[in-house]
Amino acid sequence: MKIVAITACIAGIAHTYIAKEKLETAARELGDEIKVETQGSIGVENELSSEDIRDADVVIIAADIGIAKNRFKGKPIVEIPISLVMKSAKGVINKTREKLEKVEK
Amino acid sequence: MEVKDILDQSVIDLKMNVSDKHSAIEHLSQLLYQAGYLSDLSGYIKDVYVRESEGITGMGNHIAIPHGKSNFVKKVGIAIGKSEKMVEWESYDDQPVNYIFLFAVPSDNENAKVHLKLLAELASKLGNDSIMKKLEHCTHFEELEEVFST
Repeated sequence: MKIVAITACIAGIAHTYIAKEKLETAARELGDEIKVETQGSIGVENELSSEDIRDADVVIIAADIGIAKNRFKGKPIVEIPISLVMKSAKGVINKTREKLEKVEK
Repeated sequence: MEVKDILDQSVIDLKMNVSDKHSAIEHLSQLLYQAGYLSDLSGYIKDVYVRESEGITGMGNHIAIPHGKSNFVKKVGIAIGKSEKMVEWESYDDQPVNYIFLFAVPSDNENAKVHLKLLAELASKLGNDSIMKKLEHCTHFEELEEVFST
């Protein structure tokens, strides 16, 4: 599964970046591809390109603040609080896969 | 600049003797204040608690990352404390903590981008389980530097 994701927390100092690392590690271990954009106090980093989004199977938005979604039009989006990633990033990716499989059936 | 450049020995205490969350935050804030990172100690601590009230800062793996975005922060920094005893802390895995990373970030951070970026890099390392395991065994500043250099 090809995933694009955004992480963002309230202060934009720590959780945003920890969650990115956790998602990347979990995806790698589960054999999925992922690119994670962070929206934090230093602005947008590792920005998702339109190609990244076009090629993705699913979008995960792990955020405690509002994130603009217009660039993901037509894509399945999974929106979750960042705490779910902190608790179990693998759980988030597995759940995402389940949802996606249901949609495809 | 690299991540390890943001580590400052004067605000790191790897043999911290604290009994609870409050004394841990106070002790580390005090170190930041003495080293010139803060303009007002109690004002800063208050802002740390504001962030605490907004959500959990216990990351699991016995690590906590309280952080104050505050008008009373003069320069970006991070105080690190390792407690001899486990300390009760609200955390994602419901376990107490013994490693505390207290972030100090100015409210107006336009001029602090470089340091904030280092802080973000450091935070991302805290999301990495193998780095966390190495941290567990650090007892000296040099070892901590080493872990964050990889």
